[in-house]
Amino acid sequence: MAEVKIQAESRTEFGKGAARRIRRDNKVPAVLYGHGTDPVHISLPGHDTMLALKTANALMLIEVEGSESLLALPKQVQRDPIKGFIEHVDLVIVKRGEKVQVDIAVHVEGDAASETLVVLENASVLVEAEATHIPDGVVVSVEGLEAGAQIHASDLQLPAGTTLAVEPDTLIVNVTAAATAEQLDAELAEAEAEAGIERAEPESTDEPVAASAE
Amino acid sequence: MLIPRKVKHRKQHHPKRSGAAKGGTSLAFGDFGIQALESHYVTNRQIESARIAMTRHIKRGGKVWINIYPDRPLTKKPAETRMGSGKGSPEWWIANVKSGRVMFELSGVDEQIAREAMRRAIHKLPMKCKFITREAGEN
Repeated sequence: MAEVKIQAESRTEFGKGAARRIRRDNKVPAVLYGHGTDPVHISLPGHDTMLALKTANALMLIEVEGSESLLALPKQVQRDPIKGFIEHVDLVIVKRGEKVQVDIAVHVEGDAASETLVVLENASVLVEAEATHIPDGVVVSVEGLEAGAQIHASDLQLPAGTTLAVEPDTLIVNVTAAATAEQLDAELAEAEAEAGIERAEPESTDEPVAASAE
Repeated sequence: MLIPRKVKHRKQHHPKRSGAAKGGTSLAFGDFGIQALESHYVTNRQIESARIAMTRHIKRGGKVWINIYPDRPLTKKPAETRMGSGKGSPEWWIANVKSGRVMFELSGVDEQIAREAMRRAIHKLPMKCKFITREAGEN
């Protein structure tokens, strides 16, 4: 994964007032810590940070004015739940060649057998990988799987140099039997009756002409 | 319909509707979701109607999660009753949903079907909502 260079400015004033002033200038307040160093409070350029964080586990080269460049990974990203803009970023300092634990996305591909329902129980999995070689995600194939099949963390095909950091028996994908049409109709009819919902019956248009003429 | 089995107090004060959701603002189980854009009380009938509308559209293909629970009773005085004489009787069960809260989640269907199913469900809900996906979600 390529590093993203970001020019940061150090922060001297703190608190919600200062943080809001920084956000008004289209910047993002952030903190940089790790490896036993004192936390460094910085502000990042808003647009560049947003673009960098579109990629999961983006490796960033933070260049703070007046100090050496630091390699960092996003530890926590706080976003506005509705508008989605970045409010604050926690960055953890990493070194080249160092192993880190990160969550990577699980992608499902293929079609399971008919009359089944594929449920992704864990959309991400914790792995240990080199900070400079973090995989984008892991692909799981459910092609032809029958109801009752399960894929556990130990079944994942991880790239070389990446190891699991969760229990091997963690359930990732569960294939279950889909409800039959009759079961679903009965369940919904019962729920509608309980809630007092009346459904308009569809008018039949294929009635014989002779019957309607009478 | 969702109704608590047992409550500590049968008649409660009205919960506050101000503020935004502190948690439950991102997808936890499914690939698609309905996120509230305004704060509102959601009754158990509305939750059930939305679930039925969604399930009827996706038919047998997907799985639906409901992330809110109507655990607060609201009372109502009978019509043409003079004020006083105590609090009315419990009439509705409501979930106090704050803006940003993901109320329903869905998985196991493609985006087009999920979008239409959730559009139908949103029509059953009392507030403005939006459709969200895991792909477009946060880091």
